[in-house]
Amino acid sequence: MGRLRNLLWLTLGYFVILELLLVAAVLYYPEFIKNIAALVRIAKFLPVAGEMLEHVEKDGVVAYVAAQHFFKGGSAFGSVSAVLFAVGAVAGEAYRGTLEILLARPQSRLRILSERYAIGFCAFSLPILLSSLTTPFWAAQVGESVPYGSMVLMSLHEILFLAPVFSLAFLCSTLGSNPLRIALAMMGFVLASYALYMVKTVTHYSPLRLADVESFVNVHKNGHLDYPLCAGFVLVSALLFVASVRCFAKRVP
Amino acid sequence: MSAGLIEIKGLGRSFGEHVAVHPVHVSIGPGGITGLLGPNGAGKSTLMRMLIGLTRPDVGQCSVSGQALQGDGTAIRRLVTYAPGEIAVYKELSAGEHLAWLLKGRDPGALQRAMEMAERMELPLDKRVQGYSHGMKRMLFVIAALAPRVAVRILDEPTEGLDPSRRKEVLELLQADAAQGTTILLSSHHLGEIDLICDRRLFLRDGELLDEQHSNQLHAKGQRALRAHWNEVVEPAPLEQALAGLGELRLGADRLTLFLESNDPRPALAALATVDALPAPKSVSFGQLSLGELYHEIYGREGI
Repeated sequence: MGRLRNLLWLTLGYFVILELLLVAAVLYYPEFIKNIAALVRIAKFLPVAGEMLEHVEKDGVVAYVAAQHFFKGGSAFGSVSAVLFAVGAVAGEAYRGTLEILLARPQSRLRILSERYAIGFCAFSLPILLSSLTTPFWAAQVGESVPYGSMVLMSLHEILFLAPVFSLAFLCSTLGSNPLRIALAMMGFVLASYALYMVKTVTHYSPLRLADVESFVNVHKNGHLDYPLCAGFVLVSALLFVASVRCFAKRVP
Repeated sequence: MSAGLIEIKGLGRSFGEHVAVHPVHVSIGPGGITGLLGPNGAGKSTLMRMLIGLTRPDVGQCSVSGQALQGDGTAIRRLVTYAPGEIAVYKELSAGEHLAWLLKGRDPGALQRAMEMAERMELPLDKRVQGYSHGMKRMLFVIAALAPRVAVRILDEPTEGLDPSRRKEVLELLQADAAQGTTILLSSHHLGEIDLICDRRLFLRDGELLDEQHSNQLHAKGQRALRAHWNEVVEPAPLEQALAGLGELRLGADRLTLFLESNDPRPALAALATVDALPAPKSVSFGQLSLGELYHEIYGREGI
């Protein structure tokens, strides 16, 4: 009950942050696009950032939203949020000693874990979906048009990309007893992915390649999800969840 | 037919190299209060946790009210209530919310009964449990374990941390509950209260359940213990001479314990009166420290 209340506040906070970043970015778009040619020239010395700017120059406001909202707010900041929403599920209970009373109730461990997984999943994914759906409205304020359909598809791609990150943190939570340590380790992983992404020679090793500006622009252009890739996200998440269930079944409070 | 019967057949658990509970065979109930005794680390909590599926046994089986322990023990937990030994709470919840959370999945009237009990115990239900004392938190868990209508309750140190009046209230509640046919298995370090309310005592030592017959013999032996205290050091030799043949004598500097052969302390008291220059004792008791002596007999150390 208390955990649910805390999660609701965190979800609301995450939505507000995403929305503020989105609004600021979209309202700044006219100024940004005016200077895009100069920015592309400067970014030639920063190859990966330059790629992003080239996408914006070529594909306009959708690529810009993909970079600002989905890549920065979703893939990077969203990974951290997904981790934060997952780590408390079991490790948080163990840390404060409440795991025993949680497990002593007449509920199966599978049900407890499934509920926590579903709630955590909704907590990080709903703000992404909802804030994305407000994008067309804000874009219209600066005279631009962004299709709702593309926003929904790009949100789904983003959520499915974050699902394995969330599931991995969730698995660690079922194994560990210190949520802070798990969160720090997972955030280290996210930061390393980001650092890899920004270096041209190793950028293709970064998981963020699967949810960068190019991926989102492709979803927009194709009008559908990258089905094989998304199936991979779902499969990895499902396997991680099954592993969590097995680990949780053996857990001693 | 088997409502309230706990059957344990070879239940055991190890943690790495350490054997927490050696395979245990015992039946408990139906009905009555059974006390599980032993020092810290004896395996009491692990045994209790195994019964409701909180800790998976390595070997053996158990059943409660005819329901075998299977999977994660959910089916058994529906038939049993449990109060943990270690108290941890959701500090952000009020006591009322906490009770509602603890009783989720129980019979519909359980919450109402719990609220009424809490009111009788003067626990402020609208107050956050963060502000509760250790004893109040303990009461909350005991109430949550006593409110549902089930045939079996497993209580790990239900009176730990309670003041004497609260402890008395809890013991009365347990006795009233047992009088209605509920099987109660509880662990405690308080030998006096175990002696007071338990119909049966089980002793665990280093994860092994002691032979109950042996325990009963020891308990009976404890019931025949004559103990005397003095305010000063007494000479042992005259006492040994006077009490020879009356039972097993243990002498301290200012005390003696005599485990008599019979239930009649008068010959021993008469023999004590014959000892020359023996000062008047500070106290003399017979059969009252039975469980403490018993604890000492079993574990080689004093009980509480």
